[in-house]
Amino acid sequence: MWSYVARRLLYSIPVYLGIILIMMGALRLRDPVSAYLGKNATAETALLKKASMGLDRPFLPIGIEDPAEPFGIEPIVEVGRVGFYPPLRTQYVEFLWRILRFDFGTAERPYRSWQFESDNVGAKLADAVWPTLKITIPALVLTATIAILVGLLSAAYRGSVLDKTLMVLVVLGMSISVVVFIVLGQVFGSSWLNGKLGFELFASNGYEPGIQNWVKYCALPVIIGVVVGMGYDARFYRAVMVEETSRDYITTAVAKGAPRHKIIFVHMLKNAMIPVITRIMITIPFLITGSIVMEYQFRIPGMGKLLIDAIVNKDFPIIQTFTAVLAGLFILTNILTDVLYALVDPRVRLA
Amino acid sequence: MMRRPRSSTTCSLLAGAVGLLVAMLALSPVAAQSTGEKFARLPIRSDGPKSLDPAKGSTSYDNQVVCQIYETLLQYKYLVRPDSVTSYEDVSEPLLLAEMPKVSDEADGKQVWKFKLRDDVFFHDDACFPGGKGRKLATDDVFYSWKRLADPKYEYENYWLLQDTILGLDEFKEKFATRQPSKSEPNPPPPPPFDYAAPVEGFRKVSDTEFEVILKKSVVRFGWVISMFQTSIVAREAVEKYGDTLGKHPVGTGPFILKNESDWKPGQNMILHRNPNYRTELYPSEATPKEKEQGLLASAGQKLPLLDRIELTFYTPDPVMWQDFQDRKIALVQVPAEYFEKAFVKRTKRLTKEYSDNGIQAEAVPLLDFIFRGFNMEDPILGGYDEKRTKIRQAISLAVDLDEHNDTFYNGINVVYDGPIPPPLDGFPKNGKAPNSFRGPNLRKARELLAEAGYPEGRGLPEIEYYTSKGSNQAEQTQAEIRQLARIGIRLNPKMVDFSELIEAINQKKAQMFGFAWGSDYPDPENNLALFYSRNKAPGANHYNYDRPEFDKLYEQIIVMKPGPERTRIIEQMRDMVIADVPFVGSMARTRFYLAHPFLKNFKPSEDFYNWFKYLDVDASAPR
Repeated sequence: MWSYVARRLLYSIPVYLGIILIMMGALRLRDPVSAYLGKNATAETALLKKASMGLDRPFLPIGIEDPAEPFGIEPIVEVGRVGFYPPLRTQYVEFLWRILRFDFGTAERPYRSWQFESDNVGAKLADAVWPTLKITIPALVLTATIAILVGLLSAAYRGSVLDKTLMVLVVLGMSISVVVFIVLGQVFGSSWLNGKLGFELFASNGYEPGIQNWVKYCALPVIIGVVVGMGYDARFYRAVMVEETSRDYITTAVAKGAPRHKIIFVHMLKNAMIPVITRIMITIPFLITGSIVMEYQFRIPGMGKLLIDAIVNKDFPIIQTFTAVLAGLFILTNILTDVLYALVDPRVRLA
Repeated sequence: MMRRPRSSTTCSLLAGAVGLLVAMLALSPVAAQSTGEKFARLPIRSDGPKSLDPAKGSTSYDNQVVCQIYETLLQYKYLVRPDSVTSYEDVSEPLLLAEMPKVSDEADGKQVWKFKLRDDVFFHDDACFPGGKGRKLATDDVFYSWKRLADPKYEYENYWLLQDTILGLDEFKEKFATRQPSKSEPNPPPPPPFDYAAPVEGFRKVSDTEFEVILKKSVVRFGWVISMFQTSIVAREAVEKYGDTLGKHPVGTGPFILKNESDWKPGQNMILHRNPNYRTELYPSEATPKEKEQGLLASAGQKLPLLDRIELTFYTPDPVMWQDFQDRKIALVQVPAEYFEKAFVKRTKRLTKEYSDNGIQAEAVPLLDFIFRGFNMEDPILGGYDEKRTKIRQAISLAVDLDEHNDTFYNGINVVYDGPIPPPLDGFPKNGKAPNSFRGPNLRKARELLAEAGYPEGRGLPEIEYYTSKGSNQAEQTQAEIRQLARIGIRLNPKMVDFSELIEAINQKKAQMFGFAWGSDYPDPENNLALFYSRNKAPGANHYNYDRPEFDKLYEQIIVMKPGPERTRIIEQMRDMVIADVPFVGSMARTRFYLAHPFLKNFKPSEDFYNWFKYLDVDASAPR
């Protein structure tokens, strides 16, 4: 098992290096500094901004210098216009080194956000993780639990009124835009309901830290997240469970006279765990990255809002770091999923 | 044997979950705790400031907050809103100064500004001062704060405000600037460490409260610049203590303070408290007639700020802000375009009955806006100053119907005008119409000009690449322009791009025609006319690459001329020059509408300046 994990990690390294290379290259297709600086930016300001982020250095150890904007370092060797530069001082290697150390800014070695110049990128990401997790984890747990339950019941009572009713409800939830639910939630779940109750049960927007504020600021987004997300999961789980109902072990269990609830919740559920785990695992990176729409509309200062604000404000260090972290999370999640397969299903051989 | 443990476990879990929920509800701050303080919740229609350091601020969102905490030498008069403005003296008054600066011209062309600081201004109490007690403001603070703009550490973000203005300041800046490698100097030596003690010839200290600033020449805009938040006065002790994090630890002299770092949740909200040591600064007793009639002098003579606390909420999605205003969670709101007709009757621009019956207050705030469609004057087809290409641009201008745009996309609330100078600035044409106007729609004339240019009905004229940024209704606006120009046979090839791509296309002179807007940095027409000065060509602010030596000469005259009829005449001459050359199709200036609940008093918003929160008051007895 451990050798498998190590092997998967090793295989992932070139994939990750490639992702970072492509991502960094894409972010530099247009000059990030001129995009960030406003209408009064001078050439001097642009040069200082570039230098502060190392954007005046060559991207890769091999590069062609623009005579109008020379690199901030001298080449080791120069062949015609092509220069070879010290690799450790190139943007790509420097950023990889930063990722490797997970160093996104400290008091001694700052790595500042462009928009929030008093804050390090790492601190901004760390601050944004908790609000996101306070929404995404309860939403994931509730969605998965309810969706599995709905999937099991629908499959067990396939074709019945119960099955059809449940499916209509979950499909309705997923068919309506999340923005509609958010607006309805804010108008009726917050403004109208609070008016009726005489106190503010659910805030229409905003966020305050502390578990005591969870209901006020996080419950409504969680409820909406569950309503919207459940349809996709429930339909998927139902399909998985329906397939399971035709398996021999179910026929055997029925023939043995096993109780229906035991067949559903023990035999069927256990054997359907691989697709269930896959489904849950692929959502893990999004637990961290959050829901952009939800956080934006509810003004929750989570990762999704951080990303969208960074994109809108052309905050290059945040966008670059966020993307690198997200890519890393995806790769780690994939490896974790494979490991979990083996744990829940001995038929899966990792060797 | 019957086994029941599973169901009892489930019951326990359920009971636990319900208990937890009840406990969280019980702890939830469902009702705001009353502190007895007078406060107002005010919206900022953005995700808020990025830094509270004036040297780093640039946007109006930074301004909205920074100017509550820091102060400038001069400020705009809150209740003096004249129909036209010719000089900073028309609308400015001392803030940190004891009196208006005395300006004298020297024989050698230099200009001396004599300043006298108030003797009762103290910085906020802060740990950066000995004993945590804010010290008195002094002359050296002014020099220090302005030198900061020349410090490369702050990337010269706001140095443009003082560039080519104060005697010796440019040289001071250059002394500490990193020199770029050149052919003659491929490896320039590193600059010396920035030295705030190094002298600047134009800064002359008379005493701790009196000083002179010598300008290289008479620079009219200096009078405006010293009201701009970027030139606010900071304390050296605070900069040295907080360094890069000064943006989160503001220490100013203003009416409000940020008590704790946790009072600012970026992207969320910020709570500012009354500065307990604020000097005796009184609510104004001077007002223009309209403001008097509105009863805005009722608080005259009261000590500022009138509120104990302001809670600023940062909104990016407009619907959320609008809903919060409906729920009376915020005291005022800037009306988003899509909600205009909910609050106002489109035809009359008056409040709907429902709103006026509820006592909602409304204010229209005209912006110093210049919305236009520009041409690249270096483009081989559309650019140039010869008769043929000028006529093509004139034809395009005559085919575009800005009134239709205004009515369709802006609820008819914009001001459509000729030239680049918005109302109420000097040089704004009477009723918005210049004598040599090429404002459309005049399709007959447009077709004639196009035919005279050699393209009858647009035949033979290649498709024009029109760059515009993706925005809320930009696609629809572009479609309207395509339709309008098609009426005279001109074809537009729209390029809807991100704003950064638009800037890049303009800077690289790739965009033949482009949609853009300019918000004046200060209310002097010079700021807008600088957009046509040849030394500012792309990548500078002259996006049109307009280059006319006679215009340049006039521009160089007006930047050093005192406001008066002669300056106005030259400004009008420059305006008419660009109108005739048509480097742009325009123009429009937006008007923003604000609403306020009846409990908010002294409500007179402005977007030329933002330190008016200190004048706001609330009727504590009114329902909130």
